[in-house]
Amino acid sequence: MSTRISPPAPAGAPVKQRTDGVRGLVDRVDRRFLPVVGTVLTLVVMLGVGQQRYSTSRVDFISMRMFSNLLLDNSYLLVLAVGMTFVVLTGGIDLSVGAVVALVGLVTAKLFTAGAPMPVVLVLGVLIGTLCGLLIGVMVQVFDIQPFIASLAVMFLARGLANVVSTSSLAIDDPGFSALASWSIKFGEGREMWRINASMLTALGVLLVAFYVLHYTRFGRTVYGLGAGDRGTAVALMGLQPDRTRVWVYVISGTCAGIAGILFALYTKSGFNLTGIGMELDAIAAVVIGGTLLSGGAGFVLGTGAGVLVYGLIQVLIAREGLDSWWTRVFIGAVLLAFVVLQRVIAVRRR
Amino acid sequence: MSDTPPRAGDAVVRMTGITITFPGVKALDGVDLVLRRGEVHALMGENGAGKSTLIKALTGVNRVDHGGIAVEGRELRFTDPSQAQAAGISTVYQEVNLCTNLTVAENVMLGHEVRRGPFIDWRATRREARRYLQRLNLDIDPRSQLSAHSIAVQQLCAIARALVVDTKVLVLDEPTSSLDKAEVAELFRVVRQLRDSGVAILFVSHFLDQVYELSDRMTVLRNGRFVGEFKTAQLPRRELISHMIGRSGEALAGIGEHARTSITRHSPRETPLLTGIGIGRRGGVEPFDISLYPGEIVGFAGLLGSGRTEAVRLLTGADRPDEGALEIQGSPVRLATPLAALRRHIALSTEDRKKEGIIGDLTVRENMALALQASRGTWRRIPKRELDEIVQKYLVALNINPPNPNALIRNLSGGNQQKVLLARWLATSPRLLVLDEPTRGIDIGAKTEIQRLVAELAADGMSVVFISSELEEVLRLSQRIVIMRDRHKIDEIANDGSLSTDDVLETIANTGVKAS
Amino acid sequence: MTSTTTQSGTPRPPGASGRPAALLQRVSQHGVLWPVLALVVLLLACGLKSPGFLEVVVRDGNLYGQLIDLLRNSATPLLLALGMCLVIATGGIDLSVGAVMAISLAVSLTYLDGAADPTSPATVVTAVLLGLALGVVIGAFNGFVVTALGIQPFIATMILMVAGRGIAMLITQGQITTVTSAPFKSLGSGFVLGVPMPVVIAAVVFVVLVLLVRRTALGMFLESIGVNGEASRLAGVKARSTTWTVYVLAGVLAALAGIVYGAPTMAADANNIGLLKELDAIMVVVLGGTRLDGGRFHLGGLVVGALLLSTLERAVIIFELPSQTTPLFKAVVLIAVCVAASPYLRSRLRTPRPRARVAKPVEVAA
Repeated sequence: MSTRISPPAPAGAPVKQRTDGVRGLVDRVDRRFLPVVGTVLTLVVMLGVGQQRYSTSRVDFISMRMFSNLLLDNSYLLVLAVGMTFVVLTGGIDLSVGAVVALVGLVTAKLFTAGAPMPVVLVLGVLIGTLCGLLIGVMVQVFDIQPFIASLAVMFLARGLANVVSTSSLAIDDPGFSALASWSIKFGEGREMWRINASMLTALGVLLVAFYVLHYTRFGRTVYGLGAGDRGTAVALMGLQPDRTRVWVYVISGTCAGIAGILFALYTKSGFNLTGIGMELDAIAAVVIGGTLLSGGAGFVLGTGAGVLVYGLIQVLIAREGLDSWWTRVFIGAVLLAFVVLQRVIAVRRR
Repeated sequence: MSDTPPRAGDAVVRMTGITITFPGVKALDGVDLVLRRGEVHALMGENGAGKSTLIKALTGVNRVDHGGIAVEGRELRFTDPSQAQAAGISTVYQEVNLCTNLTVAENVMLGHEVRRGPFIDWRATRREARRYLQRLNLDIDPRSQLSAHSIAVQQLCAIARALVVDTKVLVLDEPTSSLDKAEVAELFRVVRQLRDSGVAILFVSHFLDQVYELSDRMTVLRNGRFVGEFKTAQLPRRELISHMIGRSGEALAGIGEHARTSITRHSPRETPLLTGIGIGRRGGVEPFDISLYPGEIVGFAGLLGSGRTEAVRLLTGADRPDEGALEIQGSPVRLATPLAALRRHIALSTEDRKKEGIIGDLTVRENMALALQASRGTWRRIPKRELDEIVQKYLVALNINPPNPNALIRNLSGGNQQKVLLARWLATSPRLLVLDEPTRGIDIGAKTEIQRLVAELAADGMSVVFISSELEEVLRLSQRIVIMRDRHKIDEIANDGSLSTDDVLETIANTGVKAS
Repeated sequence: MTSTTTQSGTPRPPGASGRPAALLQRVSQHGVLWPVLALVVLLLACGLKSPGFLEVVVRDGNLYGQLIDLLRNSATPLLLALGMCLVIATGGIDLSVGAVMAISLAVSLTYLDGAADPTSPATVVTAVLLGLALGVVIGAFNGFVVTALGIQPFIATMILMVAGRGIAMLITQGQITTVTSAPFKSLGSGFVLGVPMPVVIAAVVFVVLVLLVRRTALGMFLESIGVNGEASRLAGVKARSTTWTVYVLAGVLAALAGIVYGAPTMAADANNIGLLKELDAIMVVVLGGTRLDGGRFHLGGLVVGALLLSTLERAVIIFELPSQTTPLFKAVVLIAVCVAASPYLRSRLRTPRPRARVAKPVEVAA
């Protein structure tokens, strides 16, 4: 299928296009943002439903506390999804991230037991992720193995290594790490109290850096260009670096998985080899719900942020509703279906 | 760069003796091309003449086997497109080679964006982009997505990008094929402006009017060989066409006699096999009427892009017509899919052999069986013995080489692939066989064999539609010729033997587009 | 295995028959060569390490032994991979098969649980048919999303991969449904003529599928769709409905795999039945010499792939390694086989490539 989309201009129309007028602006800008607008609308609707149903006379559902908890519970997922966004924008996929989270968590725990100082442990943990990503990138770029299979192999690899490190849950009782995990800045009082902790700051930091890289660097634009659907031909003809960029996106995704592994360890204060099974799907789902096309080339990393919030809110709402937890998966599947159909409709409309 | 100031007319690019061989085919054989400052140079030739191969050699996509490329006197050897770009050669392809999912500004400026510290300064970058776009009189929002614009605008953006990288040579490969009149005029205005600023322009188009309107000089290629370089003003249109298609047809002279004698001309019976009444499709071909009779070969003449392919696709279920009706032997039918056509024994052999013909990873045998099997359905497999017989029959009858039914079709030469595809359709025993460019890009021997076969098929009562860019071939084979131009059927001529290529050329070349 | 690959019309270089050199060349170019070698080496290694490994004994007229267990363990991945392979041939993928296993087992067992007499054959047959019917429904849904809505197979089938387990939980009300029904249990642990039931089921399905695919034109159509969809359509192939059919087939086979896999324990654990089995299935397909981007497929290779997978799992135990390290070895085998088959390595091996050409234009003369 050709990716070029161009309605034939009306006969005799001048090549110039009018840029003024609100309508013109909506017509032009809307298309790219439409999926993200959908995500934000979903978010608003869900918040509205929550506010309607779960607010009490004393406490509103929509509150800083709710947002802070949402971010607290999903900071690792946000980081994973941000890394995944890079890969998906190029039209690839990274299935290894969940297993990498488990591996990093265990290695972190093991290193702490061995008495390694915290900075070393944290850096090593992240580097493990980087290495896994590099491995995928090399397989994809040099050996021309499909991203699916390459990342599947690394997923097995990471999971296997995690099992080698330990098959039981390792608690992390390093005082420095515990302090880091429990450190937070508190705002407000009593029921209104909310906090910001290290994980949230890290996740938001990663999101901001990703935003900068994707939108304010040549590299970021090359990532989008790679997803144009022509195996990087256009990018190469424009004199950019498609090959190097393709390896880099997997390195970025791997690094993000490493960071997420640390965050998850902070969250649970332990490492466990069965952590993160299916977490890659959560990340992919958040990316897709966030409006990024799985075929690549279109999407926004801030949309991914919104996608993670939607994802987290589904869980919150279902818990508040008192439904059993398995409804979460059904709902997420339904939301996913709705979003891919929406994206499809937008894509067809454009043509 | 050089000591003497450059003047218009100086050669910027000099390609000499360019020879490029693809496995089994000599695509270019000692071709010369000189591009001069401040001139629009047209590269002319029919399909398979080697135009695109030559362009790709110039832009660094294809590697040159023999011959040299000199840019401003320096011999260069390109191994990838970025090197040609670095040497100042920019290309605007027919399929715009930009990232349609990025914004206009990004496409124009990427690689040369304005930075402020570690950030791209989008505001300044957009301003720059707007400046370049305005040089082309293009007032569009640099923030808009490229895919939101028409092909015309996208093409102008590609040209704007060429301005950013300080282009000496601008290659325009079929830039006008999807533009309307006003857009073409705008494009030409820009091209002339660039020409006057000293850029050497290589222009490729199959629209003769446009070539004559824009170009100063032209180089004609035919069958991978250099025919000549001419000044546009001194080359009459008819002469150009005859250069392009090789009117005298030296190569085919001997064969022609054979083919002609083997044709037994059938007088059309009363009821036509297939009738199209006012069928047309938006963006494809304007509504036209046609009647096809058993035992008759109808030729479609017209240059590439004249709508001949689009027309026959409507007759064979490949595309659905927006309007009009089809009748088979007088009763109305709807051919919604190729399968529906196939079940009524109507077969189309498509123009694009690679994308729409062969199934590359399957064997010759499977490729031959595909259509027959499809017409019989999934569950009733063609018995092995029957298929063996069919395959063997066509391997011999069509002289397919290698005569190995288990070879992968992608490993065969173009001519043999074409024969296998012919066998695919013949195996379905069609009553109407539409052949779109069946002889393009294949060697003389295979060409003759296919022509002979077509004549025999018609003699046996099959209705055949034959499309070819080679007018000689169409004239030699067909009893009736439909003439297409600019997506219109403009004429239908009976070929009673006295018809000459000149007559047809006259009709095609005749200026004055019919109003739709 | 060999017979089926020949059946599939593997292209032969001219005059291959009878010439040992040509035959050798043909074998060495076949995608399944490396997996077969790996399998043989693994089996021999296991046999050397544990002499009892290669023994097969007959007890009560039934076959027992490590090799038999190995075959039994290969049945589920083979069933899944058969469906997966056909989907992959069309250029698609089906990520939902693991979840389908859970759903079909949940449905079957829940039905049995509620039935008056869970041991009566009629009830068991109904339960199985219900499970399979659900596979059809899910396959049809996947096919619909892929062909009618035109959504990429990956994301289309991921929807049910995510939601499927939730649905299975809804069916079992979040419980691990356990039933006692000897006839149902025998689907997983019984014997037919001394051969374990799962092996018989997998073998029968394999033969039926090979016949279905190669005795009809289905196989050829699938390959032609996977290689060149548009050319296939123009040649009259009903690309859409054919693609739809294979998603349904994959759904049914996954449902069957779920029943066979879960029957011995009779417990519908919706969270864990078939977890990550879709990835195993895809791995089996890749190990079996079928490329993930569609076109040519080799059902015979799947047998090798499935055997390799379960031998690998078994070998880890025989070599007294912790069983949790299995994924590690899966990764090694997968990477090795993919890299060995990669075009890069092949071209490297064939010709000692000249060093990458100079990156800048070379000035031949100034």
